[in-house]
Amino acid sequence: MIGLLAALDISEAAFLGLVVATIQFATLLYLAALGEAIAERSGVLNLGVEGMMAVGAVCGYIGAVSTGSPWLGLVIGALAGAGAAGVHAVVAVGLGADQVVSGLALTILGLGLANFIGDGYTDDPRRSQFTDIDIPLLSDIPWIGETVFSTTPVTYLAVALGLGTWFVMNRTALGLGVRAVGESASTADAAGHSVAVIRAVAVLVGGAFAGLSGAYLTTTAIVGAWSEGLIAGRGWIAVALVIFGAWRAGRVATGAVIFGFTLALQTRLQPFGVDFSPILLSMLPYILTVIVLIVISIRARHQPSPAPAGLGIAYRREER
Amino acid sequence: MRGGQPIAFVVGLVFALVVGAALLTISGDPVFDTYQRMWDRSFGTADTLSATFNRAVPLALAGLAVSIAATMGLWNIGAEGQIMFGATAATLVGRIGAEWPSPVLIVAMLIGAALGGALWALGPGLAKAEIGVSEIITTLMLNEVAVRLIVYLQTGPWKDPDGFGFPQITVKPEGSQLGIIWERSHLGVLIALAVIAGFAWFVNRSVWGYELRIAGASAKTAAYAGISMRKKVLGVLVLSGAVAGFAGGVELAGTAARLNENISNGFGFAGIIVAALALMRPSGVALVAVFFGAVQVGGQSIQTLGVSPAVAGILQALILFGAIGAAVLSTYQVALVERKVVTP
Amino acid sequence: MTHPAVELDGIWKRFPGVIANAGAGLTVRPGTVHAVLGENGAGKTTLMNCLAGVYRPDEGHVRIDGRTMIFASPADALAAGIGMVHQEFRLVPTFTVAENVVLGAAPRVLDTAEIERQVGEMAARFGFQVEPDRPVWQLSMGERQRVEILKALWRDARVLILDEPTAVLTPQEAVELGEVLRRMVADGRSVIFISHKLDEVVSFCDEATVLRGGETVAASVPVADVDASELARLMVGDVAVEAVPIAVAMPGDPALTVDNLFVRDARGLVAVDGVSFDVRSGEIVGIAGVAGNGQRALTDAIAGLEPVEAGTVTVMRTDVTNAPPQRRFAAGLAYVPEDRLGVGLAPKLPVTENAVMREFRTLRRGPLLNWASARAFCDRIVERFEVKIGKRDAPLAGLSGGNLQRLLLGRELSGKPDVVVASQPTRGLDVAGVRAIQRLIVQQRDEGTGVLMVSEDLDELLSLADRILVMNAGRIVGEFNAREATRTQIGEAMMGTTAEASA
Repeated sequence: MIGLLAALDISEAAFLGLVVATIQFATLLYLAALGEAIAERSGVLNLGVEGMMAVGAVCGYIGAVSTGSPWLGLVIGALAGAGAAGVHAVVAVGLGADQVVSGLALTILGLGLANFIGDGYTDDPRRSQFTDIDIPLLSDIPWIGETVFSTTPVTYLAVALGLGTWFVMNRTALGLGVRAVGESASTADAAGHSVAVIRAVAVLVGGAFAGLSGAYLTTTAIVGAWSEGLIAGRGWIAVALVIFGAWRAGRVATGAVIFGFTLALQTRLQPFGVDFSPILLSMLPYILTVIVLIVISIRARHQPSPAPAGLGIAYRREER
Repeated sequence: MRGGQPIAFVVGLVFALVVGAALLTISGDPVFDTYQRMWDRSFGTADTLSATFNRAVPLALAGLAVSIAATMGLWNIGAEGQIMFGATAATLVGRIGAEWPSPVLIVAMLIGAALGGALWALGPGLAKAEIGVSEIITTLMLNEVAVRLIVYLQTGPWKDPDGFGFPQITVKPEGSQLGIIWERSHLGVLIALAVIAGFAWFVNRSVWGYELRIAGASAKTAAYAGISMRKKVLGVLVLSGAVAGFAGGVELAGTAARLNENISNGFGFAGIIVAALALMRPSGVALVAVFFGAVQVGGQSIQTLGVSPAVAGILQALILFGAIGAAVLSTYQVALVERKVVTP
Repeated sequence: MTHPAVELDGIWKRFPGVIANAGAGLTVRPGTVHAVLGENGAGKTTLMNCLAGVYRPDEGHVRIDGRTMIFASPADALAAGIGMVHQEFRLVPTFTVAENVVLGAAPRVLDTAEIERQVGEMAARFGFQVEPDRPVWQLSMGERQRVEILKALWRDARVLILDEPTAVLTPQEAVELGEVLRRMVADGRSVIFISHKLDEVVSFCDEATVLRGGETVAASVPVADVDASELARLMVGDVAVEAVPIAVAMPGDPALTVDNLFVRDARGLVAVDGVSFDVRSGEIVGIAGVAGNGQRALTDAIAGLEPVEAGTVTVMRTDVTNAPPQRRFAAGLAYVPEDRLGVGLAPKLPVTENAVMREFRTLRRGPLLNWASARAFCDRIVERFEVKIGKRDAPLAGLSGGNLQRLLLGRELSGKPDVVVASQPTRGLDVAGVRAIQRLIVQQRDEGTGVLMVSEDLDELLSLADRILVMNAGRIVGEFNAREATRTQIGEAMMGTTAEASA
């Protein structure tokens, strides 16, 4: 490892910086993508991630600096994200409007609201941020310890939420119901699950996770403050990541690390003196996602696609 | 319900204004002054109205692009990227033909823009037609690729040597500016109207448009009528991309000073909302686009009152949500009445 | 005295324009298999949906074990021990058998292995062959039906309603189903078995209730005491069905020739398995068979909507095996598909645009459609076939079923075809509509057109067709002269029994 770094003429400090940045971006993307995956597993495509993240970011920041507690900021950010998602729950689930239109309008609404709310906070010098937590013993491991096991509690929270999501989806009756609603709403309905309630809750949880993701940006040292354009398209990467991760909590986590690494490279590439435009590299997640989607579609000719079969389809109980 | 859409739009507008007023009040901003200023600076004078028209051009063309794809039940949510790549292609033409006579240059740039947009939609079109890959995600992903391509060009190959280190692309060539026809409105307003009217007429009247409607009904009906779904899917997405790319060309030649990553400025996404509000009909697209143009232009003007220009985005989304609510609730009411008849 | 397991009393259910149940009743004794018999449209499924909580009856009582119940939803009915297996299965294809079985009634925390074990055990107890860990999309239709039954048993349904369960089963699977049902009643449960097939009723059931026109015409008849012909008379009623007058056929040369045709369905399974036959000019050839035995794949392949794996299709000596649908139409082949609104018509488009769906290529003027000619074309069909339409430019969806079918058939006949392939052309139409469509088909035959007609209504085929071919499992298993054949003969062939014997 050391030899490889030496060969590439990369300093140890630069490498550690790269790992830290990868973890930060992976956390950011994972929280949002996990939430989107939950909504999509229930059959609701929510293209409002970018907007929900923005609302979560600005509300998380205001909550954190006005209470002095980054934890409260995180909670407020999550609630704000869920609140924004509530619009999609009402319009796309309750009223049965087209999910694509509603989600995109939510992005526009969310970005507008965030900029409106954050108008007076753009140059706010106040900070209320999480500090890194060292995991005892593990953080003493060289290399890995000071990066992976010494980071903000939000990263650990993201891991916990990922495990929790996996458990609920695969090991509980509730998760079975959510997946059934996403695959075949009429079947789930006939089996006694309320399609509208499950979908609405999934969308709200998804919004809360997106809000957490946004608040993570404004309550940690990554940015730590609010500014317009803060989300900068990361919501769209989260949408891509859900597909890249085949809608599964575990695979989405792997994807988050890969996509997080490409984002980290963009910001950390220069010190390595690598002669490759970071901008071109930043296209990679989107192109990878398109390739994954093509592979999924080709394989879907012989076996069911990992995509929820009812994704994007509004459900209304049939009446004769 | 179709006939009720203008009413739904008005309900949406009122809903947006009321909720917007509530937001302004909460934040301590003057409601009346804000709306007054937005009106004055969008519809108030010939000068501002002409600026509104200019802003409506990319919105209307993007909305048209979305509605063309929607005829077949397809979602082109990549108008944003197609606008950007169309403008990029137009810039490329401009760089090659900087010395050409002005009319030739402009026509060449607009054609280049349309071809660029078509090219940007070709991949999603092929993937959908041949393999059945969801066009929603592929077109969306290519938006993000397009914006990064422009950033790459302006920091790399096309970097302005006289940009004093600022990353920007050389000012577009002289002679590539669309002429002014009325106050501040440029020729693009007429071009957009002509394109929209032309498409509406052609889709209604032509065999191609007829085949499109049959193919939009169901894949099996299309097969029964002997219409190739593959060709139609590919054709309609590429055409949709071409129209969006064309919008990018018109925006570049008409309004924008030069190519940068903000050339589309959310027109592609707003265009989807415009098309949805217009129920995917071209005539409605033009009208709704003027309204949205007014909200956007008006929104920029309220900053001097100390009000956040973000109000414009909020209002646009709220119009849509309000209109959806009105449309759904009115059809529900019909359903309720019918059900009463069914089971006495 | 023990109460009946199920008692339906004076059930009325009205839909717009239709009275589905007019005071129908049903009494099921516990521990029996009870047949509910009736022709298509007799109100069997509606009555059962009232029992299973899908519909709420307008009038009448539902009593379970002597207690009056009002069900607001299927979940309510399930809680009261009423489970129903619908004709369209409600399963999640990507879920395993076990996951489908427990869906909606699963323990809060799922132990997959434990649930698979329990489902497997339950299946074994009732004599089912299933693999609990297999995903449902890999299963045959018969296996999926078992999963549906297991779903009801998992919720401990005391009464199981099966809506035409054998329609999707092979004869062997049907026999197995019968054994399973016997085990269930031996377990103290009751089974309601909806059918319009007499032989099944005789072999599976203890008692039968016969519905006709939404009313109960015979209640709880012990099957052992009556013969099949008596049940048949009760089902169809005493009034002889007035047949469409039909002249003696004068068949000419073959108009349509299908030779050794093989077709695979969307799942890659063989749907049409080496079928050969002729339809000659001036004759009606009927295709009889239980639904899902390859009829749809056969007609779709003839019309060019399904690719042909092997074999040939010839229309008036022109090989059209690989020709696109419009070339076949030009060659003289008209097609009335089974799914009118999903294939043959576009309900959201105006009447005119539907009328020219076959002819629009000849109505063009450069890149444009000649709308004046198109409207004139539409008017001619509307006039000649007496289609009642509102506005020509209004969406088609407003038309009644009978008028939709007149427009569709009229459009297909307007090209003066040599062969008409009509799939279920009268299904779902009211009496007047059925008669009108049947007359048009017979009239075509008399004018020298060859007609291939697929129908599940055996009486319709017996009265209209000149020859009847019977399809079973993708093959032609019998050919009958429609003037001489009996229902029983054809019915046996449909069940595959004669073919099995002779093979």
